[in-house]
Amino acid sequence: MQNTTLEVSTHLAEVYSTVKGAVYQSDSEKCWYVDFAGKMAKFDYRNILKLKKAIYAIDIEEILLNSSKTADVEIVFICACEHCYVLTLLEIISFKELLEGTFVMLSLNQILHDRLYRIAA
Amino acid sequence: MKDIIRVKSLISADVETLLNQQIKKEAQSSSAYLSMASWCDRNGFDNSAEYFFKQAEEERQHQMKFFRYVLDMGGTALSPEITNVKIEYNSFREIFEEALDQEISVTQSIKNIAARCHKEQDYVTVEFLNWFFKEQREEEYKARRALELFDLIGEEGTGRWEIDKHVGKIHYGNEAGE
Ligand SMILES: [Fe+2]
Ligand SMILES: [Fe+2]
Repeated sequence: MQNTTLEVSTHLAEVYSTVKGAVYQSDSEKCWYVDFAGKMAKFDYRNILKLKKAIYAIDIEEILLNSSKTADVEIVFICACEHCYVLTLLEIISFKELLEGTFVMLSLNQILHDRLYRIAA
Repeated sequence: MKDIIRVKSLISADVETLLNQQIKKEAQSSSAYLSMASWCDRNGFDNSAEYFFKQAEEERQHQMKFFRYVLDMGGTALSPEITNVKIEYNSFREIFEEALDQEISVTQSIKNIAARCHKEQDYVTVEFLNWFFKEQREEEYKARRALELFDLIGEEGTGRWEIDKHVGKIHYGNEAGE
């Protein structure tokens, strides 16, 4: 158990985390690991953008105002990606928060790269 | 931590979205011009029909230019869905008024993309857009000139026939003032 934790920590860098989940980046695999809703899912560049688009596109307000008796769950299916999420309204809100934080950190990382290695160097 | 996003794509997600909106706008322009060509042809304005057929082709080329640029930069180009294409127009003049309105809206929309690019220092896309600014100069000029024919010649008598004859001759030199 200790070994796995150690391996994960050296291999993956945490991009952003909340109490509900976390997103890690693997430099060697050029991908992200999304730990959310009880599973760890791997996303490459294309797919993480598709995930972002799918989650951001959910109209949270509309679900809140919707008085019909149907269950408040949303199925998020990402084309050409093996992962699928079945999320409750609260999970959608936390997932959105996690992804928003992640993309802010990724743009910050880009600014850092520009400043430290690309422009100054 | 590596900057994977920048390695994969030169353009930001925001610029990519704006460029995809522009792809759709160019496709809409192409469809609208085709519709105008159809109306002109049905109503006996052969030169104007020809003029709009050519414009429709040009708009398609603009669409493809944007499309390939998005792909070349590592983005995802979206093939747009075009709906609600107008079939009937109230008058010959209305067509040219709409053509000019459309070109103005395209110029403004490209200016908006350039403003966003300047904000994030995406000078690569700005340079790409410069070709379109030059093109819009010509497009607006031609559309404005065509509309002016209505005031110059007048629509009475054989006026519309005369206007149609001149539409085919509208030409813009490469440099302003030529
Ligand atoms: Fe165009
Ligand atoms: Fe045009």
